[in-house]
Amino acid sequence: MAGAPVEALQRVPLFAELSADEVQQIALLFKERHFSRGETVVREGSDGAAFFLIESGEAGVSVAGAERESLRPGDYFGEIALIDEGVRSATITATSDLVCYGLTFWEFRPLLLENGAIGLKLLQSLARKLRAAEVT
Amino acid sequence: MTGVLSLEEVSDTSVFGSKAVGLGEALRAGLPVPTGFALSGPTVEAVAAGDERAIEAVTAALRPLGGPLAVRSSAVDEDGANASFAGQHVTLLNVPSVEELPAALREIWWSANSDSAITYRKRVGLFTRPSVAVVVQLLLDPDTAGVMFTQNPVTGADERMIEASWGLGEAVVAGLVIPDSYRLARSGQVLERRPGLKRIAVRTAASGGTFEDEVSSELAERPCLSDMELDELHELASRCEQVYGPARDIEWAIAGGTLFLLQCRAVTRAGSA
Repeated sequence: MAGAPVEALQRVPLFAELSADEVQQIALLFKERHFSRGETVVREGSDGAAFFLIESGEAGVSVAGAERESLRPGDYFGEIALIDEGVRSATITATSDLVCYGLTFWEFRPLLLENGAIGLKLLQSLARKLRAAEVT
Repeated sequence: MTGVLSLEEVSDTSVFGSKAVGLGEALRAGLPVPTGFALSGPTVEAVAAGDERAIEAVTAALRPLGGPLAVRSSAVDEDGANASFAGQHVTLLNVPSVEELPAALREIWWSANSDSAITYRKRVGLFTRPSVAVVVQLLLDPDTAGVMFTQNPVTGADERMIEASWGLGEAVVAGLVIPDSYRLARSGQVLERRPGLKRIAVRTAASGGTFEDEVSSELAERPCLSDMELDELHELASRCEQVYGPARDIEWAIAGGTLFLLQCRAVTRAGSA
């Protein structure tokens, strides 16, 4: 079946407030993307166009040249780019052949514009994240 | 399905992109273009999304083409916005058969939706969603290939400029070699013939894709076009100008002794894009 697995998306905090049906709507918008070992998935400082969820394989993460914890199946990155198209905060490189599910903001935004309830719940998730950041 | 047409039938740039329509015009005018199909932007999107019905329809329609295949993007706004997407949207050469076509279409779709492509679109003032149509043709296994300007792109002089190398034209387009260069008068007379240094030939790999093949030192320096082939290229330049108008940028290949037109577009002068 096309799209990303719903259960994996339900673990993404940005989507935590959404019902299973709402997550299903988003899941269907994802497309599979394959990267070869050694390929750069996203580059720190470049504009972000998509959110990725790892289906299989592993990816290395570096910030300003410093290695961070690597990513594995079920891990995800770039979800905030769906909202703000902001720049990538890290470079992610496939350390094995990598299969991801990707969602671009071009495809995500029409859903938000058509479905205010999903938009409101995402706002609530972001607000919660903001409050948590203020506390720490 | 209307999202898949043979190249001869393609005429709508808003659905199939300028590359597909240009090749359709060339075929209708009798120019020697390799046979193939055009897939519309929505069709490519549906296949990339894993839509089983779209995948079945595309593979059924293109199966008679056989293989191996050359799969190239034909973005619908490539020319309309004064922007060149060269280097942003990938071309996949030597896709073994239609069975591997869905994965190839997915890769091309993502090339138009990558971080770098989106960054580029914003930089040139394109804030609309990319739509990427695709041209699928039988892949040639050329002996020689290259590019040709029907008018000097730098000086504007009324002369043909030809660059050529062994194997697939990607060696010339990607700057992997110092190609042979030829300058022809509008009459077809050879004004200048400068052999290059072609140490690499890009060739098709048995397992799919391409590889860089080392060229012997004797062949690397030997001119790869004969006088007869230069005559044929001159004739092709004239026919392209009759069909499309002056100042054309042409990609060509010679396979099995036959000259083919791979692409014909308006010359983009340096700094105008």
